[in-house]
Amino acid sequence: MTQAVEQPPAHPAPAAPQPAPATARRALRLPGFTLAAPAWLWLIGFFLAPVSLVLWYSFGEKPGLFGTHSNEVLSLDRYGEALEADYLPTFVNTLRIAVLGTLICLVIAVPFAYWLAVKVDPRWRGVVLGLVMVPYWTNFLVRPLGWPVILSPEGWVSGLLQDVGLRDEPLAVLYTRGAVQLGVVYNYLALMILPIYVAFDRIDPALREASRDLGANRWRTFTRVSLPLAAPGVAAGLVLVFIPLMGDYVTATVLGGAKGTMAGQLVASQFQTAQNWALGSAMAVVLIVFIGVTVAFFAIAWTSVRAVVRARTRLVVPERAA
Amino acid sequence: MRGPATGAAAPARARRTRRPDAANAALAAWGVLVLVFLFLPIVFIVVQSFNAGRLLLIWDHFGTGAYRRALSDPAIRGAVGVSLRAAAGASAIATVLGTLAGVALARRAGRWVVPFLGILGLTLVTPEIVDAVSLLPWFVWLGTDANLSLFNNGLARLVVGHSLFATAVVVFIVRARVQGLEESLEEAAADLYATPWRRFLDVTVPLMAPAVLAGALMAFTLSLDNTIISAFVQVSGSTPWPVYVFSALRSSLRPEIAAVSTLMLLLTLVALGLVALVLRRSGESSRDIAGAMTGA
Repeated sequence: MTQAVEQPPAHPAPAAPQPAPATARRALRLPGFTLAAPAWLWLIGFFLAPVSLVLWYSFGEKPGLFGTHSNEVLSLDRYGEALEADYLPTFVNTLRIAVLGTLICLVIAVPFAYWLAVKVDPRWRGVVLGLVMVPYWTNFLVRPLGWPVILSPEGWVSGLLQDVGLRDEPLAVLYTRGAVQLGVVYNYLALMILPIYVAFDRIDPALREASRDLGANRWRTFTRVSLPLAAPGVAAGLVLVFIPLMGDYVTATVLGGAKGTMAGQLVASQFQTAQNWALGSAMAVVLIVFIGVTVAFFAIAWTSVRAVVRARTRLVVPERAA
Repeated sequence: MRGPATGAAAPARARRTRRPDAANAALAAWGVLVLVFLFLPIVFIVVQSFNAGRLLLIWDHFGTGAYRRALSDPAIRGAVGVSLRAAAGASAIATVLGTLAGVALARRAGRWVVPFLGILGLTLVTPEIVDAVSLLPWFVWLGTDANLSLFNNGLARLVVGHSLFATAVVVFIVRARVQGLEESLEEAAADLYATPWRRFLDVTVPLMAPAVLAGALMAFTLSLDNTIISAFVQVSGSTPWPVYVFSALRSSLRPEIAAVSTLMLLLTLVALGLVALVLRRSGESSRDIAGAMTGA
């Protein structure tokens, strides 16, 4: 009954009403980027414009004692100054801590992420993932702050080691490069674990089973099936850890004292204490160049190693008669 | 008949023996060790917050005095208040801008996408210290030379500074979610004569709500966390909590800092639990949640 009533208008409909909403929609149709325009303008106004200004300052100089910057005379001298013997070791030191820190994070994260994605009972996976996230979500500054409590010469660990007789004198790890290295690994580990976990979790378990059925042992299955399939996650983790690590100087200040100086600290002090915005700007640009060159270097190394490995391990499937 | 029979028996045996073997035990031990490593400093901070002594690093005896002193200290209360207000503002801006842009990227992609993704990518990969040193002269210029006195306000500066990275994060979280939604649902609504606006409000918004919520919380915590940009753009009277702690490092660390940190940890845990609950009720898997949070 109801069907019979509704049916008649439904049939001629495709011909007549169809164009009507289409034209109505076309009249309202704004260009595709309309909704993105506010975010676009916001980022241009408060990110692109200020960063461009810093780039411009880096070609200038510090005019006299009380000025911060002047672009009357344009030169590349500030870059020369930033790369002089006074500052260059700090950039190299920062690069070393960042590269080493990123690699340590990788070595810790890969087995952990694999364990979490493959071995942990699916019911507990969310909980373990939450446990990884909690330290990451707690305050950036508080995370490294826990380490001085642990490592301080008057702290618990130091006392315990002395009581047990493993050490004669108080622990002297705090304010060394080792402490800074530990702190940065701790600070950014979650950023490495999460993308690698997601990548391992996306792999169809059938692929691992197929590899086993074809006679590969577990190590071979891991290195030849799971790890290559998780490569995008590994790459994302490397970038997510390396870039903020290069700019981080807070962790180094907390755990390294004066010895753990990082490039970020150099830039900050030029703006905050030395009031030399031109030199500080040049240092900021140098920092970005260091990051860009390192990422590009590893990206090229990665793709060429992969190409070589692929060429050498190419599986030739014997052709069969169809 | 022999072939398939042994073939079936071998994996079964392998599966049985795989449970307790050395490699799995080593992996599990590694997993537990990593979790211990991640929680060790937090446990120590919580323990130290009950230190009744005057110095954070030296344990005296048990007491809750640090909490009482922290809650009554006007400087600490002010700093936490500034942090919470800046986080609310930055999160609101990042969520609105990021959600709109995420929807546009997922549904109305065109040639404009390339430069837009370029600027988002730049925002994500620029180290915070560079943002910080760029924003300081920019705010000074806007506030004095351009006569926009809003940018002399410390809170406004913090909100703007914290919203940049967060906006890019929200864009990617929302885009991933909307791309995963069937466009046919919106088309069905259109065929039923819903206007574009109704379609967006009644179909798209409820479906993408979990991602928007995850993005908003992410933006909120990113802002609470922010130390470097804050240290540069703050003006006196609007010192946020992380900068307060950072400057306390230079003088002396007191147990009050551990007490407030513990309280903020509890707050974060509650917020995280709520979001996990909402995401789970909307049928999100743990992988989706992790993916959304890292933008992967």
